[in-house]
Amino acid sequence: MIVTLHLIVLALYGLGTALALAPFLRLPPSPRALNIALPCAGAAVHVVAISQLTPVGLGPALSILALCLVLLQLASERLLRGSAVALFTGPLATALVGLALLSGLTPGGGAEVAGSRNAWFILHVALSVSGVALMALAFIAAALYLLQFRELKARRFGQVFQLFPPLERLDQLNRFALIVGFPTLTLGVLLALGYGARFSGGLHVAKAQIVWGMFTWVVLGWAVWVRVVRHWAGRRAAFASIAGFSAVLLVYVALKLAQPGVERFL
Amino acid sequence: MSDHSGVGIKVLGVNHRTAPLDVRERFAHGAHEVPGALARVMAAGAQGGVLLSTCNRTEFYLVGEEEPAFETVWSLLGERLPAAPAGGVREYGYVVRDREAVRHLYRVSSGLDSMILGESQIQGQVREAWEISRAQAGPVLHRLFQTALHVGSRVRTETGLGMGTASAASAGVAVAGKIFGDLAGRSALILGAGDMAELAATCLSDEGVQVTLVANRTQERARAIAERLGGRAVSLEEAWAHFATTDIALCSTAAPHAVVTWERVGHIIARRGGRPLCILDLAVPRDVDPAVAQLENVFLYDVDDLQTVAAQATARRRDEVPAAERIVEEETDLFWAWYGGLGVVPAIKELRSRMEALRAAELERALRQLGTLSPEDRTHVEQFSQALMNKFLHQPTVALKAAAEEGRGYGLLEALRRLFGMESPPPS
Repeated sequence: MIVTLHLIVLALYGLGTALALAPFLRLPPSPRALNIALPCAGAAVHVVAISQLTPVGLGPALSILALCLVLLQLASERLLRGSAVALFTGPLATALVGLALLSGLTPGGGAEVAGSRNAWFILHVALSVSGVALMALAFIAAALYLLQFRELKARRFGQVFQLFPPLERLDQLNRFALIVGFPTLTLGVLLALGYGARFSGGLHVAKAQIVWGMFTWVVLGWAVWVRVVRHWAGRRAAFASIAGFSAVLLVYVALKLAQPGVERFL
Repeated sequence: MSDHSGVGIKVLGVNHRTAPLDVRERFAHGAHEVPGALARVMAAGAQGGVLLSTCNRTEFYLVGEEEPAFETVWSLLGERLPAAPAGGVREYGYVVRDREAVRHLYRVSSGLDSMILGESQIQGQVREAWEISRAQAGPVLHRLFQTALHVGSRVRTETGLGMGTASAASAGVAVAGKIFGDLAGRSALILGAGDMAELAATCLSDEGVQVTLVANRTQERARAIAERLGGRAVSLEEAWAHFATTDIALCSTAAPHAVVTWERVGHIIARRGGRPLCILDLAVPRDVDPAVAQLENVFLYDVDDLQTVAAQATARRRDEVPAAERIVEEETDLFWAWYGGLGVVPAIKELRSRMEALRAAELERALRQLGTLSPEDRTHVEQFSQALMNKFLHQPTVALKAAAEEGRGYGLLEALRRLFGMESPPPS
C-alpha cells in the first residue's frame, strides 16, 4: 500500500514537474490552477502514505523530505506569485520519492523502530527534516536569484526574465527560509536530545548522524548570522546560502559513502 | 508607375532595422541642427525637405531631383560617422521613392514602423520635425506631413494599435519591477524634463514611486511636472548625491554626451551597501556611460534594451496591424491622387491658352495671306483651325487627366512643361 501510494505520488510530482518545465522548453504554459492542483494532489496522497510509514531509515527520511519540499513549494508560490520554485523542488521531490522507493520504505528492526511511534520522535524527525528542507528552499531561492541576476545584468529578456520572480522577492524568500529554518532545526535537535534522555536512557544514534546534524546546524546558524547580524543581502547572501547547503550535502554524501546502508538515514 | 527619375518624393534614412544604436545616435540631429542640414540639401537641388530625427530613425524627406541632393545627404551622414564601413554610410541606409515614400511616412506616423509597434510618441516627433522644417518643407511635403498626422490619429482612434503599455517608459517600469518586485514606496531620480522624462515620471508615479526630477536646462518645467506628480525638482548639481539612495535612476536628457559617468557616480554608488540600482537610459545619444553597468548591483538598460522588452508586449497589437495598414493604404491613395493631380488642371488651362494664342496668331497670318475672303470662307478657315487644335489637344488632355487620377500626373506634367516650353513651376 505504501509503495503504491508512493508510486502515485511519484506520477503526480513527475507530471507537475513536466508542466512547470514546459514554458522553458518553448511549450505552451499550462493553466496555473493545474500547476498548483497536481503538486497539491501529490502532497495529499503523500501525507496519507507517510502517515502509514515508520519514520526510520533512508527511504522514509527521503520521502518526508520530498513532502516538506513540495509543501514549501506550494507556500512559496503564494508568496512569490509564480511557479519558479517548482523548477527546482519539482525534480528534486520527484527524485527523492524515486530514491525512497528504491531504498525501500519498510524499516528493519532496532531501538528507533520500537520508539518510532513516540510523539517526541515523530516531532524530532518532522522538525529536523523541515529544517533541512527550509535550508534547501533557501538554496533554491539563492540559485533562482543568481540566475535572474545574471539575466538582468546581461540584459537578456528571455524565459528566465519572464518567468522567474523579481530579485527582491527571491532575496526575501531566501532570508525567510533561513530565519525560519534555523529555529526549526534547532528545535528538532533539542527534541532528539530530550527524546534520548527521557525514553532511551541516552542517545542511541550513530556518530555520523551527530556529526552531520551538528554540522548542518552550525552552517545554518552561520547563514542566518551573516544575513541578520552582518546584513548580507542579494548576491553575497545567495552565494553564502549555496555554499552552505552544498557543504551540508557533500558532508552527508561523504558520511553515507563511508557507512553505506539504508536502515538509517546516516 | 514610378517617376523617380524626375521630380518626386523621396526618403533617405537610417532606422532601427538598418543601423545599431551606436550608429543611430551619431546620426541623430538636434532641433538646432536641422535647418543647417536641410539648407545644405536644398542648396544641392532639393525643392523641399523635412528632417525627421528620433532615437530610432534619421530620415530626410525630399522633393526634387535625386542628384546631387542624395549625395549631399549621404555625405552629411558620413561626416558624423568617420569610421564608416567599406560601403560608407549607405550600408546603413535606405531610399524609398514616390508612392512608397508616402506610405512609409504614414506607417511611421501611425507607429506601424516603430520598434515598439503602435507607440504614440512618434506622432509628436513627426509633428515636431514638420514644424522645425516648415520653412524648407515646400507645398508637397507640407501637405504630406499634415496628412501623416491625420493618418496617425485615424489609426489610433479607429484601431487598437495603440492599446496597452508598450512604450520604452512602461518597459522601464516592467524591468524595474523584475528587480524590486513591488515598486510602491521606491524612489526614482529622473534626469531630464522633456516629454520622455515626463512620460516616464508619470509611469513610475502611477506605480507608487516617489519621483524626484532633475532639469539640466529648464528648471521651471521640472518643477511643474514634479508638482503635478507630487514629487520634487532639484538641480543637476544636487542630483549626483541621490545616486547613493535612489532605487531607480531614469535618464532622458538632450545632452550630446554621457552625463552619468563612472568618475561622477562610481564612488557614490559604492556607498549603497549592495542595494540594487536600476538605471534606465532613455536618451539618444545615451546619457549613461556603459562602464557604469560594471558596478556591482547596478542594472543599466538603454533604449534598445527597453524596446526589446516592450516589443514583447506588442504581440497583442499585432492583431490590429491589418486594420491599420488598410487605413494607411486608403490615405496613401488619397494623397497620391492629390499629388498626381497637382497642377494638372492649371497646366491644361495654360497649355490650351498657349495653343489658342498660337492658333489665333497663325490664323491671323493665314487670313492676311489669303487676301479677301467671303465671311463664310473666313468662318470655315477659323472653324478648321479650332477643330485641328482641339483634335491635337484632346489626347494629351485625356492622358493627363487619367494619369492624375492614377497618381502619375506629376511625371507627365514635367514632360509637358519640357515639350511645350512651359517653364513656370507647378502651382501649390
